Amino acid sequence: MAYSSKVIDHYENPRNVGSLPKDDPNVGTGLVGAPECGDVMKLQVRVNPATGVIDEAKFKTFGCGSAIASSSLATEWLKGRTVEEALAIKNLDIVNELSLPPVKIHCSVLAEDAIRAAIADYRKKRSAV
Amino acid sequence: MVAPDFFSFLGLPRKLNIDHADLERRYRALSRQFHPDYFYNAPPAERRASLERSSYLNDAYRTLRNKMARIEYLLKLEAVPVAIGSSAVAPSSDSRAEAELLEAVFALNEELDEIRGERASGVPDHEWRARLERARAPIERKRARHEAAFEELSARWDALVDGGAGESERRQLLTKLRDRFLERKYIDNLVAGIERELAQ
Repeated sequence: MAYSSKVIDHYENPRNVGSLPKDDPNVGTGLVGAPECGDVMKLQVRVNPATGVIDEAKFKTFGCGSAIASSSLATEWLKGRTVEEALAIKNLDIVNELSLPPVKIHCSVLAEDAIRAAIADYRKKRSAV
Repeated sequence: MVAPDFFSFLGLPRKLNIDHADLERRYRALSRQFHPDYFYNAPPAERRASLERSSYLNDAYRTLRNKMARIEYLLKLEAVPVAIGSSAVAPSSDSRAEAELLEAVFALNEELDEIRGERASGVPDHEWRARLERARAPIERKRARHEAAFEELSARWDALVDGGAGESERRQLLTKLRDRFLERKYIDNLVAGIERELAQ
């Protein structure tokens, strides 16, 4: 199967690889996995509490090229968005942007789930404050 | 071709503990019966049917003799799908346990990454190999625990089949089996990754 040039670009030059301090109250962490292929994806956002805007996003993914590209793209899109806007990102947007073939659609689902998990974690922390 | 499923095709109950010698005997007997050579002079439709039965028989045998394939097949048969997806089909019954497993899998993947880095930067063989062996120990222990869980769930499933249990009881047990099955995929992938590194 041939990867699209955008997938290859994200795979070879992944954006925003790394991690943010998990215990920072403004950081939300999402850790999700796709059991069938064994992929695991960690995605983190840091939200500016004054504006509600995501000012930093990081990821680390162990999996195939499409999973890495999906999460790399997701972090690019997350920066500068509000939490609400972040939740509007749908896996199909990722599929279209990266031209993912049908067998790799679940990688984009994983990225969407990671975004939701990260934001849910952030909100849980804020409501606990 | 009339073949509702692999189990009944081989004349077996839908159980997870299988007597391998018995399976082998059934397979051989049916192989002889359906062998295309015996249908050499038969009309085309019968020849084709014998070929189809033979290939179905081979699929059935290959699936049922392997424990993980057997479990996966039973889940499919019982409509508890192990579908492609992510958290939506991830272990449902115990999300805390799932989160812990994910964290462990993630941490081990990071460790593997670092070891690859060490190797690439010329750290002596015996050093990174020792680290790899240390990383392997906890995941092997997890795999052993999974093995035990499969044994236990399989025995319970077989008892349900014998006892003619109700639908809800069956579902519950199958869901547990599915959850363990999915976790096992992560573990197997990790162990395969470690073994690939050690083979370097």
